[in-house]
Amino acid sequence: MTDVRAPESGPSGPPPAERDERGRGGPGRSADPAAGAFGLADWLRWAWRQLTSMRIALILLFLLALASVPGSIVPQESTNPAGVQQYFTAHPALAPWLSRLGLFNVFGAPWFAATYVLLFASLVGCVVPRTFRLVGSARTLPPRAPRHLTRLPRSARYATTLPPDQATEVAARLLAGRGFRLRRPVNGDSDGHWVSAEKGYLREVGNLLFHLALLGVLVAVALGGLFGYKTDRLLVQGTTFADTQSDLDEIYPGRLVTAADYPPFTITLNRFEASYITSGAQRGQPLSFDARISYTAQPGGPTRTDNLQVNRPLSVDGAKVYLIGHGYAPVFKVTDARGQVVYDQATPFISGSSGNFLSEGVVKVSGAQPEQLGFSGVFVPTAVEVNGVLESAFPAADNPAVSLIAYAGNLGLNNGVPQSVYQIDTAGMRQLTAQPQLLLPGQSLKLPDGQGTIAFTGYVPWVSLQITHDPGQIPALICGMAALGGLLLSFMVRRRRVFVRALAGGPAHLGGPEQGSTVQVGGLARTDASGGFDEEFASLAAELRAAHEQAAASQHEGE
Amino acid sequence: MFKAKRRLVLLAAAALAGTALAVVLLSGWASGGNSGVTDVAGSTSAVLYSVGHRPLAPDFTASTLTGSRLSFSSYRGRVVVLNFWGSWCAPCRQEAPTLAVVAEQYRQAGVAFLGVDVRDTTASALAFVHDYGIPYPSVNDSGSEITLDFTAVVPIAGTPTTLVIDRTGHIAGAVFGTATYAELSDILARVTGKAGTS
Repeated sequence: MTDVRAPESGPSGPPPAERDERGRGGPGRSADPAAGAFGLADWLRWAWRQLTSMRIALILLFLLALASVPGSIVPQESTNPAGVQQYFTAHPALAPWLSRLGLFNVFGAPWFAATYVLLFASLVGCVVPRTFRLVGSARTLPPRAPRHLTRLPRSARYATTLPPDQATEVAARLLAGRGFRLRRPVNGDSDGHWVSAEKGYLREVGNLLFHLALLGVLVAVALGGLFGYKTDRLLVQGTTFADTQSDLDEIYPGRLVTAADYPPFTITLNRFEASYITSGAQRGQPLSFDARISYTAQPGGPTRTDNLQVNRPLSVDGAKVYLIGHGYAPVFKVTDARGQVVYDQATPFISGSSGNFLSEGVVKVSGAQPEQLGFSGVFVPTAVEVNGVLESAFPAADNPAVSLIAYAGNLGLNNGVPQSVYQIDTAGMRQLTAQPQLLLPGQSLKLPDGQGTIAFTGYVPWVSLQITHDPGQIPALICGMAALGGLLLSFMVRRRRVFVRALAGGPAHLGGPEQGSTVQVGGLARTDASGGFDEEFASLAAELRAAHEQAAASQHEGE
Repeated sequence: MFKAKRRLVLLAAAALAGTALAVVLLSGWASGGNSGVTDVAGSTSAVLYSVGHRPLAPDFTASTLTGSRLSFSSYRGRVVVLNFWGSWCAPCRQEAPTLAVVAEQYRQAGVAFLGVDVRDTTASALAFVHDYGIPYPSVNDSGSEITLDFTAVVPIAGTPTTLVIDRTGHIAGAVFGTATYAELSDILARVTGKAGTS
């Protein structure tokens, strides 16, 4: 926690109210575990105080950052289960130990949860008491006027013909008119006539706002973690999907999200268009993506249309639908040995890192007779041959082609174990074609031994959509802005005090000691980072003097 | 002064405990109390809803895989087994022979079977139906709209899911995941009051 209050300054030392405040929460602890008789309650209090100290909060924050490091070095179960399996194969001795330590699921590991729960407790425990303290500080009256105002950093002194009680009255009226909070001697005080005035309580308000907003940010983050979710869906042009758990590809739900929490909308991708720069050094860079969709917010509700673009999501029923990717789905039609069409659909291929949408995919024809058929292939939107290797020269589909390897046998689906639709298990299959076979749209490949044919009939684009819901996002933004505003306020507003004391007895030339009084004005700014208090005090002292002279003059006229 | 400090510590602790309690209560509330639901055949993925706790099945009209129109309301008055499946779904392949057998066994008892083919294409689905000798029709739900309607009343998390709907059109039982012969015949025996005949 940053303490936005600067340390006390000024030769007069901290006034009584200040001393009390520091005693409550400042670094000067009275209780020390080494100090002797120490009960369980004292130990608990000591532990709590340690936990909520800034030092421990910083250490916990550092630990949390440190704990995230293995999450980016070791493959994670949640995002890359295949990588975890590969790691187990590659490091048979080390992997079980890493698994026991939870390093394959860092963000779900108990020690990770312990760290962030402690950090959360530390922050809450630090901010809550501080908030109460600030409320108190914003409500305190200024301290009593010191006896010798000339010892303050700024002071002025002049004589007036007004008696002390009237002189302080005039000063009080002027200071109250300038927005100062006043303190006057109460009946029975015998230390003379004085006024204490303080201004700049907005600084405490800003401070308070900052701390409350920090708590708000913590709550907002928790809200997002409990009730927010993120899901993904790949959608082929011309098809529809429903936002329900069984029809989504990937689901990353918050702790308290249930299947009933996904809003029941449906989206149809009518048309997707991408355009690219066609010449120059930037050739192949995307210019625009445009997904034309129609959607219904509720089952049976009206159908609306919209355009999804990058960073232009669709807002529907509290969720946001983002266009996050696209690719090509070649359309294949497979006829088996009996002459039956057993597969006829657009099959999404996924582009790897090789660029220009050279995409890989598989076709699993589980209904082919007498044997199941499988194909693993590559789709290139603009086919070129470089040293006998098929490559893509441009991301748009100017010269599309597929290259296929055919398999026959058992796809391994019938034992009931779910498979990825992007991977083929060829363990129970034999390769039908020795070389990858290149097909252009409209061409077909006749499989050997009368196993059937596969036709590459065309291609359609697909988009990948990300659906997110974060109920903490807006509160976090508002709280973040409030925290910044509060911080600025507490930095820019300075708290300053002005004291006026009137002593009976003016200089002789004004009519003798019985008539007038000597006015002392003292001022001090508690924090003056931005400067400017010297000028403020000088003009205030001049105004006070003028007010006293005017009051004295009108009194003389009245005599 | 010391007293004030202790009060603040207590306040902070209370606030923290309150937050923790709220989280626990909320998560308890979210998981919900399941009244009127009993497990079937020792399995937690197969459930039976007691009368009075049976959600009303939504109606739908859709195309069958062979191209004719089918209204779910035309089944009213019969016990219906509604199976959500897809030819791409490996667990559906595993349970398909079971469903084909149970459908034959309960034909005499007047139980109708209906498939809802989810996120699929006609060519692949028809090949699946042919392969496994599925004796009952399926409607096309390639856009998951029927699934979505049913998810509003029963928590369908994916395929396969099998619902048993009673004669009044209410959902009487469900198998979430691969249905076994024991689960399915147990639910049907209780809903129809009859045993299957082979």
